[in-house]
Amino acid sequence: MATIAPGVKTGPYHAVLDHIHPEPTSFIRKYIFSIDHKVIGIQYMITGGLFFLIAGMLAEVIRYTLLQPQGQMGISAATYNGVYSMHGSAMVWLVIIPLVTGAFGNFVMPLQIGARDVAFPWLNLLAFWMFPVAGVILFSSFLIGAPDAGWTEYPPISVQGPPGTTLWCIAIFLIGVSSTLTGINFIVTIYKMRAPGMTLTRMPLFVWAQFATAGLSFIATTALAAALLALFCERVFNVPFYDPSRGGSPVLWQHMFWFYSHPAVYIMILPAFGIVSEVLPTFSRKPIFGYKMIAFSTVAIALLGFSVWAHHMFTSGMVPWLQLPFMIITMLIAIPTGVKIFSWVATLWGGSIRWTTPMLFATGFLITFTLGGLTGFFLAAVPADYHEHGTYFVVAHFHYVLYGGSVMGLFAGFYYWWPKMTGRMYNEAMGQWHFWITFVAFNCTFMPMHWLGLMGMPRRVPIYDPAAWYVFWNQFASISSFVLAASMLLFAYNFWSSFRSGKIAGPNPWGARTLEWMISSPAPYYNFKKIPAVLATPYDFGNPLPYLGLEAAEGATEATPTHSSHPVPTY
Amino acid sequence: MSVSIAKQGYQLGHGHDDHDHEQVIYQETRDMRLLGFVLFLCSDVVLFSSFIFAYIYLRTTVAPIWPPMIDGHQLPRLDTAFAAVNSVVLFGSGVTMHYALENWKHGTRAMYNLFMGLTILLGAMFLGGQAYEYAHAQIGGWSGNTFGASFFTLTGMHGFHVFVGVVFLAVLWWQSSRGVYDHERYFGLTAGTLYWHFVDVIWVALFFLFYLW
Amino acid sequence: MEGLAGVEKIIALIGAIVVFIFALIGLRGEWKKTGLDDQVTKLLLGLMAFGCVLVVLAAFGVLPRGGGA
Ligand code: HEM
Ligand SMILES: [Cu+2]
Repeated sequence: MATIAPGVKTGPYHAVLDHIHPEPTSFIRKYIFSIDHKVIGIQYMITGGLFFLIAGMLAEVIRYTLLQPQGQMGISAATYNGVYSMHGSAMVWLVIIPLVTGAFGNFVMPLQIGARDVAFPWLNLLAFWMFPVAGVILFSSFLIGAPDAGWTEYPPISVQGPPGTTLWCIAIFLIGVSSTLTGINFIVTIYKMRAPGMTLTRMPLFVWAQFATAGLSFIATTALAAALLALFCERVFNVPFYDPSRGGSPVLWQHMFWFYSHPAVYIMILPAFGIVSEVLPTFSRKPIFGYKMIAFSTVAIALLGFSVWAHHMFTSGMVPWLQLPFMIITMLIAIPTGVKIFSWVATLWGGSIRWTTPMLFATGFLITFTLGGLTGFFLAAVPADYHEHGTYFVVAHFHYVLYGGSVMGLFAGFYYWWPKMTGRMYNEAMGQWHFWITFVAFNCTFMPMHWLGLMGMPRRVPIYDPAAWYVFWNQFASISSFVLAASMLLFAYNFWSSFRSGKIAGPNPWGARTLEWMISSPAPYYNFKKIPAVLATPYDFGNPLPYLGLEAAEGATEATPTHSSHPVPTY
Repeated sequence: MSVSIAKQGYQLGHGHDDHDHEQVIYQETRDMRLLGFVLFLCSDVVLFSSFIFAYIYLRTTVAPIWPPMIDGHQLPRLDTAFAAVNSVVLFGSGVTMHYALENWKHGTRAMYNLFMGLTILLGAMFLGGQAYEYAHAQIGGWSGNTFGASFFTLTGMHGFHVFVGVVFLAVLWWQSSRGVYDHERYFGLTAGTLYWHFVDVIWVALFFLFYLW
Repeated sequence: MEGLAGVEKIIALIGAIVVFIFALIGLRGEWKKTGLDDQVTKLLLGLMAFGCVLVVLAAFGVLPRGGGA
């Protein structure tokens, strides 16, 4: 189509962009079965937050059990198995994945690309509602005997496991379908619905991250669906896939599971990378360093992420000659990851840094995530992994990348976009306290697990060597984890009080430059009164804002859109 | 860059008359749905691929011989000749579907109806053939051994897709007779055709893997 | 049983050739189009034609290699 200004091509999809659904008026259509991406995003946040609470309490049960080397009265080995299995499953599938994609992807991404909604709002609604249903099914497995083979549910234990394992299959399958649908929805949205002038290399980095993540979810998740379907059939109809006594193979499950679950760790971390890439330049008031390198390394990580799954299986008896390529490719991923880390650090360099809460969390992320990446490197080395596999060293590794990475990134995102969601500011001092307590307690909880693991303490066992050294570090970790949990109270209280009586935030409290900050807070129903045109990347602090057509939108809360279009034909 | 020049040229969603505007919206909506649908098919490919991987894995790295031994005697192979005929039936339906869509685009309604009817008929015939095959396969049933497990799971999933496809096409046929589509706007038919081709192509893989390997 | 299989193979062979030819004609009609649906159709029709080749090989007993039922 026509060029509308030097450097601005009208996107081919602007007519659909301009389409506005009439705003619903009933409570149910507005808040329960809404098709507005912002409402759905917040619904994901609330639901995911509730599941975080439950899964967090399960974590504290684990740490409580480990206060003593012989375990605790009332927590049998079987209960313990159920508790850590459900903790892991819920954290991965009911908390982190829905929060990084469903919640932040939904709330932020369409705003950042200058769209009025996602490509398929009804599909979005459907995908959201599968999520709480899956959660209820998963947790109800406690009633009939929770799954007991860990979040990875390796056969043959999972084939023989308690009845709840079948519910586990159903719940994870459902959440998988939901995340596949969301992935498809986001790809189409990002590919087709960007505002005119927003070329791929002008997209905010958070959008790049969502794009790569969506690609991972819609390809990898169906592999998990297949593995689950087979496990379901084996448990319910006795169909032999995994049972070695009947010609099946437990290692088959490991291949199918990790073909999904390694990409899934990138599903969990890439959006956090995206959040950090927004927060750091905003609070350094400096263009992000290496925009293109960050964007391309995101895609490189996503692609390479499909070819490293067997690094989880070095001790499984897989063919030895395959171990070397898997080890090398795993280590190769450290290159794009390192590119990102260095680009973020370089963004800070010489900036005028404001230590707000989101900035603290983003910087904390840099430190803890890097530590987690380093231990990942140790684990990728086959000979070292023979020693470390199945020990607390692995637990330390993935909590550094998942809590220190994804969850810290999520906290940064919460504080950063809270004013956009509610129109109010949170209490900054309380936020900073939350950060410092989290950061210290997190490291105290998980750091000792490195040496506990290296000394050979196995994961997933409720008792351990009663030598004083083990007892000390376990108690140290447990008590720190109680502090970590308590710091969540600050977080919850902060948002509760802000929601009720926080200072009015205004459209752009941070002086940020991406599109979501160009409209009023909270964002109006139709997002943009007029779809803006985009002239450059958003990060060039010091230049004028690279948008055209936004003036009309200032203080647009009450205004009606200039162009309300025809209903879209339904065929 | 001069912002004022840019502003003069910057108009969005204006300057179309109503009909044009509606046409643009249709086109854009259709393109988005098409992309979404193709992505859905891609993720479905992964579902089948994963089970195919499982089959290959169980057959080549776990089973000492194939077809496996059960109670001291080896299971028979599947009936290739019958499956070949059934495959031709399904591939044939793919071709008739293609011509049904072409005729719809050209507005030749009678031919469209002929090809569409043929497609649905052949699809149903394939399902009948599957049922016959299931009744006669001597490989120990779904839960007897890994051969039966992979064969019945994969072909069952495929058969389910064919069944959904037959229903899908029947609905499309009914819709097109009711004037839901015209000769310029027929996204439903496009999606149905792609889905049907996809189901056929999955069968190419399954036919090879179970009958010819 | 042998005789029946022979009839089946002849039906499969003739059918596969007919379907193959019509698939190629369809493919030629699509060839110059460039929409996403056209590209996917090309790929899928091509693979379907390949399926017909497989059927022909089966009818001549080239595949499966041990000779099937
Ligand atoms: C430099 C990047 C990374 C490398 C080289 C790496 C390597 C590894 C290796 C080799 C293992 C297997 C350890 C074993 O079981 O013996 C592992 C486990 C794990 N990694 Fe990473 N990793 C990296 C980054 C990440 C990230 C970013 C995440 C998630 C956000 C992650 C999440 C996990 C999880 C959850 C496990 C444990 C799975 C389990 O057995 O329960 N890793 N990692
Ligand atoms: Cu991994």
